[in-house]
Amino acid sequence: MTPPDLTAVLCTGIRKHFGEDDARVEVLRGVDYTVRRGELSFLVGPSGCGKTTLISIIAGLQETSSGEVSLFGNHLARMPHPERVLFRRSHLGFVFQQYNLLQALTAAENAAIPLLAAGTRRREAVDRAAALLDRLGLGSKTGSFPRQLSGGQQQRVALARALVHEPRLIICDEPTAALDHATGEAVMELLASAAVHPDRAVIVVTHDSRVFHFADVIARMDDGHITHVEPGQRTVANPHPGSSRNSHPSA
Amino acid sequence: MNWVGLQMLRNDRAKFAAMIVAVSLAVFLMQNQAAILATMLSMTAAQIRDVQDADLWVTEPDVECFDQVKPMRDIQLLRVRGVAGIAWAAPLLKIDAIGRSEGGRLNTVTLLGIDDASLAGLPQKMRVGRADAIRELDTAIIDPGGHELFFPGEPFRAGRSVRIRNRRLRIVGVSDIAAPFTGLPMLHTSRSTAAAFNLGEQHMTSFILARSAPGGNPGEICQKINTLGGLRARTTEQFAADAMWFYGSQGVPMLFMVTITIGLIVGAAITGQTFLMFIKENARPISMLKVVGTTDRQLGTMILLQGAVVVVLGSCFGSGIAAAVCNVIRTQPFLRSLYLPWEIALGTCFALASVTGIALYASFRHVRGLEPAAVFR
Repeated sequence: MTPPDLTAVLCTGIRKHFGEDDARVEVLRGVDYTVRRGELSFLVGPSGCGKTTLISIIAGLQETSSGEVSLFGNHLARMPHPERVLFRRSHLGFVFQQYNLLQALTAAENAAIPLLAAGTRRREAVDRAAALLDRLGLGSKTGSFPRQLSGGQQQRVALARALVHEPRLIICDEPTAALDHATGEAVMELLASAAVHPDRAVIVVTHDSRVFHFADVIARMDDGHITHVEPGQRTVANPHPGSSRNSHPSA
Repeated sequence: MNWVGLQMLRNDRAKFAAMIVAVSLAVFLMQNQAAILATMLSMTAAQIRDVQDADLWVTEPDVECFDQVKPMRDIQLLRVRGVAGIAWAAPLLKIDAIGRSEGGRLNTVTLLGIDDASLAGLPQKMRVGRADAIRELDTAIIDPGGHELFFPGEPFRAGRSVRIRNRRLRIVGVSDIAAPFTGLPMLHTSRSTAAAFNLGEQHMTSFILARSAPGGNPGEICQKINTLGGLRARTTEQFAADAMWFYGSQGVPMLFMVTITIGLIVGAAITGQTFLMFIKENARPISMLKVVGTTDRQLGTMILLQGAVVVVLGSCFGSGIAAAVCNVIRTQPFLRSLYLPWEIALGTCFALASVTGIALYASFRHVRGLEPAAVFR
C-alpha cells in the first residue's frame, strides 16, 4: 500500500456504466488504481477497455457510477462543479493525441492558454509560455502558428501547454499515436525529462509499446479492469523515481 | 480569454466575413426601407412644417391632411381673428392645376396662394431669388423638384415661365422647401395671382394660418377656435401628426414593414446560423478549453464578445452604406427630403442585435452542453 503522503492519484472501486437496462454498458468494473508522486505511470490496454473513461473520471470530466477518486487528497466528486473546474485549471495538465492546438494562436499563445484561463495578463502569460517553449527546444518557433509546425513540434507545444501552469498531475492521452517512431520517442523523452517532478505525477494512456520503456509503472487494463500492474524499465533502472528526478524545466 | 475568443473568430475568415456581410446587408436593407418610410411619412407633413411663421392651422372639420382641400368661407377667417389670444390670421389658398413649361413639358402643379398683405406662409429659405418677389402679379417661386420637372438638367435660375390655364406665370425664384409627398411641383404665388387660376370657385381660402399671441398657449387657443363650431384648429405639430397618421393608415407602411421584417429575419437567421456553425465547428477546441479549466462564464463572455464584434462591425458597415446611399439619392431634386434619422439607425441595429442575441444564447447553450471528455476521443 502506498503511504498517503506519497499518493497522487487514488482510485478505489471505480465503476462506470452508460445507458440503462438493455442499453446498459459497463465500461469500468471496479477499478483500483494508484499513482504516486514523482511517478510516470502508463495505462495500457486494447481499444475500448476503458482507459479514456478512467482518465476522464480522474480528471473530473465524468462522474463515476460508484467508487471514489482522490487527487492529492482531494475528492473531486465531492466538489461543486465550479470548484472542480478551478481545481482542474490549477492542478491538472493535459496532452492530447490530436494536440488540440488553436489554429488562430501562435505556439506561445497556445502554450499560454492555462495561464490565460487563470486570469494571468496576456503579455506575462505569453512570455512565460515562450520561455518554457525555449527550454523545450522550440525557442525559434514561439511565433509560429500550428499549421507551420510539424506533428512533433505541435506535440511539444501541447506539452508546454500542459506544463506552463506547473500542475501536479499531467494526463497524456496517446501522446505519440499521431507521430512516427522517432518523433514519438523524442516527445516521450521530453515528457519524461520535463514533466516528471517529485511532487508531480504523470499518467500516460498509450497503445504504443515502443515507448513503454519510459514508464515507471505500467498498469494494464482489459474489459474495464486493471488486470496487472508491473514496474517499468525506468523503475528497474531507478527504484525511487520520485526522489531522484528533479528535471522540471521551470525548476 | 476574451482575446482568445476574438482570435478564434478572426481566424475563421470566411464565417467572420459572412456574418459581417449578413449583418451589414440586413442593417442596410432595414435602414434604407425604414428611412424611405420615415421620409415618405414626413413628406406628408412637409408643407405644414415648412410654414414656420404660423403656429396654428385652421381647416374645415373633416380635413385630415394638407392634400385634402375643402374651401372655407371668408367669414371663417374673421371668426378666427376674433378669438382671444390670436396675434394674426391669414388665408392660404391651395389649387391643383396643369402647368406647361416653355419647352412644352406638362405637369400637374400645386399652386399655393400666399396672403398678399402678410405673406404668411412664404418659404423661409430660398435657393435662387427672393421669396417676397411674388408680390408682383403673375409671378411665382418654384421648388427644386418642380424646376427639375419643368426644366430638366438646367441649373436653377429665375426668369423662366410656366403657363397655367393659358396664363403665363413668371418664375422669380427657386425655394428650398422640403419635397412634397405628391412629388408635384410646388409653386408659391400671391393669393391674388392664384385666385385668377381658381376659376369657378367661390371661396378662395383653403386653410387659415394663425399665430398665437406672445405668451399664449397654442393648444388652448385651438380649443377656443374649435368651440366656435364649423372649424378645426390644430397646432402645426398636431396637424403634421394627423397628416402622417392619415397616410400611415393607408397601408403603405405595412408594405415597408414587411420588407423591414424580412431584412431583420434574413439577416438574423444568416448571422445566427453562421455563428452557430462557427461554434459547432469549434466544438473540439472549445472542449479543450473546458478541459484545461475555462469556466462556463468565461466561455459565455467569449461568445458574447464574438457576437458583439460581429454585430457592431456589421452594423457600422451597414449603417455607413445606408447613409452613403441616402446621401447619393438625395442629390435628386425630387428625393431631396430623404433622410436617415438616428433613431432608425440605432433602432435597426438594436433590433438585429436582439434577434442575433437569441442565436448567441443558443450557441452558449450548445457550448455549455459540450462534453469536455469528448476531446479525448
